[in-house]
Amino acid sequence: MCPTAFAVSFEHVTKTFSQWQRDNTGRGILRNLVKPEKKTITALDDVSFTVGRGEFVAYAGPNGAGKSTTMKLLGGMLLPDAGDITVLSMSPQKQRTALMQRLGILFGNRTELWWDHPVIQSFEWKKAVWDIPDDVYRQNLGMVTELLELGGLLKTFARELSLGQRMRADLAMLLLHSPEVLLLDEPTLGLDVVAKRQMIGFLKKINREKGVTLIVTSHDMDDLEEMAERILMISTGEIAFDGSFEALRGITGNLTRVAVTSGAGGVPRIRGGQLVSSEKGRFEYDVDLTEMTVRELLRQLSEAGGVRDVEIKRAPIEQVIAGLYREWTAGGL
Amino acid sequence: MAASKIKRILRLLAISAKMDLAWLLRDTKFALMGVLGDILANLSVVSGVYLIALRFGGIGGMSVDEVLFMMAFSTLTTGVFILFGSGNNIHISRIIGRGQLEHLFMQPLPLKTQLLTCGFTPFTGGCNFVMGCILLAVSAARLELHVTIWWLLALLFYLAVTMTIIIARAYLVSSAAFYAPVAAEEIAHTAIDGTWQLSTFPLSGMPLFIQLPLLVIFPEGLLAWFPSLCLLGRPPLNLTELYPLAYALVISLLAGFIFRKGLYYYVKKGSNRYVPYGFRR
Repeated sequence: MCPTAFAVSFEHVTKTFSQWQRDNTGRGILRNLVKPEKKTITALDDVSFTVGRGEFVAYAGPNGAGKSTTMKLLGGMLLPDAGDITVLSMSPQKQRTALMQRLGILFGNRTELWWDHPVIQSFEWKKAVWDIPDDVYRQNLGMVTELLELGGLLKTFARELSLGQRMRADLAMLLLHSPEVLLLDEPTLGLDVVAKRQMIGFLKKINREKGVTLIVTSHDMDDLEEMAERILMISTGEIAFDGSFEALRGITGNLTRVAVTSGAGGVPRIRGGQLVSSEKGRFEYDVDLTEMTVRELLRQLSEAGGVRDVEIKRAPIEQVIAGLYREWTAGGL
Repeated sequence: MAASKIKRILRLLAISAKMDLAWLLRDTKFALMGVLGDILANLSVVSGVYLIALRFGGIGGMSVDEVLFMMAFSTLTTGVFILFGSGNNIHISRIIGRGQLEHLFMQPLPLKTQLLTCGFTPFTGGCNFVMGCILLAVSAARLELHVTIWWLLALLFYLAVTMTIIIARAYLVSSAAFYAPVAAEEIAHTAIDGTWQLSTFPLSGMPLFIQLPLLVIFPEGLLAWFPSLCLLGRPPLNLTELYPLAYALVISLLAGFIFRKGLYYYVKKGSNRYVPYGFRR
């Protein structure tokens, strides 16, 4: 891949923050007056990765892992301590105004809409500020209105929109200047199932049809798996995994969730499986199918007696990742 | 290049004006209540001083009409302030303290351009400016001032200098919000509005130990009293008519330096605080 084929390049980026430490004891307060205690937090530690044009990348990690810091560095809102960052071959810190013509950033808990104006007024404001040509504006407005079903919302005041509607309107506004790269920080935060499906469907569509590069963070791993082809996982400031969701499942031993419905009184036993829940005669187990064959699993269940139904499915990605987070925390990564 | 920049700024001012007009026409009742509130607040400040002058036949060597002229200048300043500063762009500590600068970083415009254009409200914020113009015309007529093009240019000059001092001081103190966002969120409001009444009081006849600090350390004497007397052709304390300009240059250079340092701190350390209120009116 030639260098210009990268939409985003992060090279040996380090970012640290300092936190003042406070003590509530009298001695601590006095000591703090003389010699304040400072703690250094390494949000990103020599992180390197690239994202190609047209890629859809999930950026995940536990709380405090450095996800939002990465987003802000890419958006030129923070300066790195060390390393080089380029987005569309531009430095977000040195060429911010030029970059913002081609980049779109959305933070799920914030809005760019004007509170006391109808949605369409915010769109017109954006047209003027981004200096969007009339034909591009008309074309994009038509596209987002249709795909995000905004027709009935354009004349509604932003303050009167529900969260799902507001997110749709924000996303629509984000696309009016035809950004080539989108950075979305928790875009599905707080959305109900229908709104989430709509949002995910739309993001996949603009990635597939318009070739927009997307980097999305979310705490909802199932959402991320549905959207993205590649997942970058960060933990305590370091890239802990970079690959496909399949490969991610692979490193955790291909965990499978087995649900057994039983009419007998006792709990069916599966040797090598771990019971994770039981409710009204339905028992769920985690089984590693690289360690046990399906035949062996079914044999054990047939011996258990009283089994009425067996359901075998892949373990939810949430569970795979929770296991990884626990491992990383224990291992200090 | 310069022409295209000016054109761009005019277009940005136009969209701000359009949104202001849209708000006025849409929420007319509330918008007019806001306008009325602004007018009453300003009138109550200036009329108090004017009534004292009326009762005592002037203040400290300034005639009643000269005091009225000074009140007109102060109202004009307030008018320009509201006209261009209705988006917390002058009360900048609110934007910094609430972590809202990041919204500005997302726009493809230099910060200066955004801050210059985002608070322009000619329709809901223009009333004090118009009132100031009327008061100025009345007082000029009563004083039988010989109004020439040079005098009008001098008026514009002193208005620009006064606004520079107000904005520079607001940005200077607001830089504290980069380091202490919660504690300093309202510091610009305290610095501007907290001392506004003092700036409308004629300092003529006051002892030097009161006049000097208000011309050298604090700028209150430069916000209406000094420029009004300059426009009336008798700058006070034998100081040069260009003293306000010198003060404006020094304070804006200092504010520029301190603000840039604060901004660097902000992008280096980030802001852990974000509150949405007051953003996107």
